[in-house]
Amino acid sequence: MTAPADMTREQALSAGARNTRRQRLRTIVRHAILIAWALVVLFPIYWMVATSFKESGEWVAWPPHWIPHEPTLKNYSQIFVFDTSQKGVAREATEQPFNVWGPLGDSLLICTLSSLIALLLGTFLAYSISRFNVGGKHFRHAILMIRMVPPIVIAIPLLMYYAIMIPLATETVLGTRISLFDTRVGLSAIYIATTLPFVIWMMLTFIEEVPYTLEHAARMMGAGRMYTLRRVVLPLVGSGMVVTFLFVFILNWAEFLLALTLTHPDVVTLPVLLNKFQSASEGRLFGPQAAIGTIITIPVVVLGMFIQKHLIKGFSFGTIRK
Amino acid sequence: VSEANAIASGSASAKGSTWSRFGRWLAQERVFRLIPFVFVEAVFVLVIIIPFLLMVYISFLKWRANRPFEQAFLSGFDNYAQVLTAPGFWAALGRTFYFAGCAVTLELVLGFVLAMLVARTVRGKGVYITILLIPMMIVPVVVGYNFTMLYIDSGPINQLLAPFLEPFGINPRIRWLSSPTAAQWSVIFSDVWQWTSLTFLIFLSGFSALPKQLINAARVMGASPWQIFWRVELPLLKPAIVIAVVIRSMEALKLFDPVVLLTAGGPGTSTQTIAFYLWEQVWVFNKFSFGAAASILLLIIFASLIFFGIYLLVRQSAEVAQQRMS
Repeated sequence: MTAPADMTREQALSAGARNTRRQRLRTIVRHAILIAWALVVLFPIYWMVATSFKESGEWVAWPPHWIPHEPTLKNYSQIFVFDTSQKGVAREATEQPFNVWGPLGDSLLICTLSSLIALLLGTFLAYSISRFNVGGKHFRHAILMIRMVPPIVIAIPLLMYYAIMIPLATETVLGTRISLFDTRVGLSAIYIATTLPFVIWMMLTFIEEVPYTLEHAARMMGAGRMYTLRRVVLPLVGSGMVVTFLFVFILNWAEFLLALTLTHPDVVTLPVLLNKFQSASEGRLFGPQAAIGTIITIPVVVLGMFIQKHLIKGFSFGTIRK
Repeated sequence: VSEANAIASGSASAKGSTWSRFGRWLAQERVFRLIPFVFVEAVFVLVIIIPFLLMVYISFLKWRANRPFEQAFLSGFDNYAQVLTAPGFWAALGRTFYFAGCAVTLELVLGFVLAMLVARTVRGKGVYITILLIPMMIVPVVVGYNFTMLYIDSGPINQLLAPFLEPFGINPRIRWLSSPTAAQWSVIFSDVWQWTSLTFLIFLSGFSALPKQLINAARVMGASPWQIFWRVELPLLKPAIVIAVVIRSMEALKLFDPVVLLTAGGPGTSTQTIAFYLWEQVWVFNKFSFGAAASILLLIIFASLIFFGIYLLVRQSAEVAQQRMS
C-alpha cells in the first residue's frame, strides 16, 4: 500500500502517531506478560518466606494470611538450637527443637569438598583433552553420557556396593569392616563422579579460549610444564574455574535422591532434612519447614545471581557462540 | 612440541635425585597428557563401573535385603521375567514419558516466548532476566515443599479461585493433590515452574547470538516481521532448540524430587514416576534383585534415547563448526 500522493501533512503525522501508538501498545503487552510470569516465579518463594515468619495458628488458616499478622522468629529459633542440653520430650510438636546445625555443616562440608576435588580433576582433564586430544574424538561426548544416566540407576548398585561389597573387601584385606554407607566420604565420592562431566564440559569452553601459542612461547623460553600451567594458563581460566565451582556447588547442594539413598541416620544433608518433615510421623510442621527452605534457598540464589552472566556461556555446550 | 621434549630430556643430565628424575619422567608429553585421564577414569571405575558390574551380578540372584547376601543363589533370568511382567513397571514408565512430554512441551513454548519477549525489551531487561532465572537455582526439594503449601486446601490458589467457584455452590477448598488427574497436573506444573527458566536461558543465549545485520538486511529488503521470524530467526535458532529439547527431555525422565515431596506417588499410583517406582521397590519392599534387574532394563531403554540425544548434539555442533569455517 503506498500513500496517496496528495496526502496532507496532518494525515502523514497522524499515520506516524498511529504507528508509535501501536508500538507503545506492543510494549505494554510485552511488559504485562513478562510481569505476570515474574509474579508467578516470585510468588511461591514469597509464600515460603512469609510462612517462615508465621505462628503455628496461621500456617493453614482459611482464608490464608498473605502477610503474617503477628510476625515471629519462633520457627527460626526452633531450628537453630544453641542450647542442646534440654533434650527432653516437648509437650507439643510445635515446641520441639529441630537442630539444623548438623545437616547445615554436613551439607557445607560435603558440597565444598566434592566440588573442589571435582573441579581440580575435571580442569586438568579438560586441559589435556583440549591440548593433547586425550581419549579420542568422541571422548567428550562419552563423558556427557555419564551425566545423562538417571541417578536412581546408579543409586541401587551404589547402596549395595557401599553397604556390602566394601565392608567385605576391607574385612578380607585389612581385617576391619569399613563401610562407606552413611559416611561423608561415601557421599562425596559419588558427588565427585556425577559432577565431573559438568566440570569437564564447562572448563573445556573456558580453556579452549586460551590460545595454545601463548603456552608454546612460554615452553620455548624454557618454562617447565607445571610453571606454564600455573603462571600462564591458570590466571586466564581462573574466573572460569570460580564459575564452574559455584555451578557444581549448587548442583551438589540441591542433590536429593543419592543423599536420601546413601545416608541414614548419621549423615543428613539439608534436602533430606526438609523431606523428613514431610512424613506423617513428624507431623506437618509447615513453619519450621519454611524456615529450613529459606535457609537452603538464600545462599544458592545469591551465588546463582553472581554467576548468572557466565551461565549463558556454560549452558551453550559449545554450540552457541557470541 | 618435540622441541619442548628435547628441552626436557636434554637438561636431564646424569645427576639428580630419584625424585627429580621421576618429575622429568612425568613431564614428558606422552606421560603428562595421561595423568589427569588416569585419575578421572579411576574415579569413574571405582564409583560407577564396579557398582554397575555388581548390579549386573545381583540382577541374576534371588535375593532380598532381609536375608544375608552370602546365602543368595543364582536364579538366571527370573528377575528380568518378573520385571517385564510387572504391570507397575510399565505403567510407571508410561507415566514418566507422559509427564516428560507434557512438561517439556510447555517449558519449550513458554521459555521460547519469554526469551523472545525479553530479547526485544530494552527497559528493565536485566531485572527480568534475574527474576526469570531464579527458579533454576532453587533446590528441587524446596520447590516441592513450596508447591505443597500452595496446593493445600487452605492455600492461596483456592482463595484466588473462590470468587469464581462459590457462586456455583462449589466448595473452594479443593484438595489439589487428592484427585489423580489434578495431582498429575500439579506435579507437571511444579516442574514447568522450575525448568522454564532453563529453556528460557538457552533460548535467550540463542536470541542474543542472532546476527543483527542479517535481520536488518531482511527488513530493508521488505520482509514482514512474520517472515523475518519464520524464515530468518527460527532457522538460526535451531541449535538452541535442539539443545533445549535434548537436555530437558533427559532431565525430565529422571523426575523424582518433587514427586516425593508433593504426593509420594499418590493418590494410589497416579503420580509414580519410574524413578519413584524403583526407589519404592528397593527401599520400601527390599526387592534388591528385582530393582537391579529393573535398573538394567531401564538403562537399556534410556541408553538408546541418550545415544539419540548425543547424536543430535554432535551433529549440531559439527554443523555449527562447519558454518563457522565457511
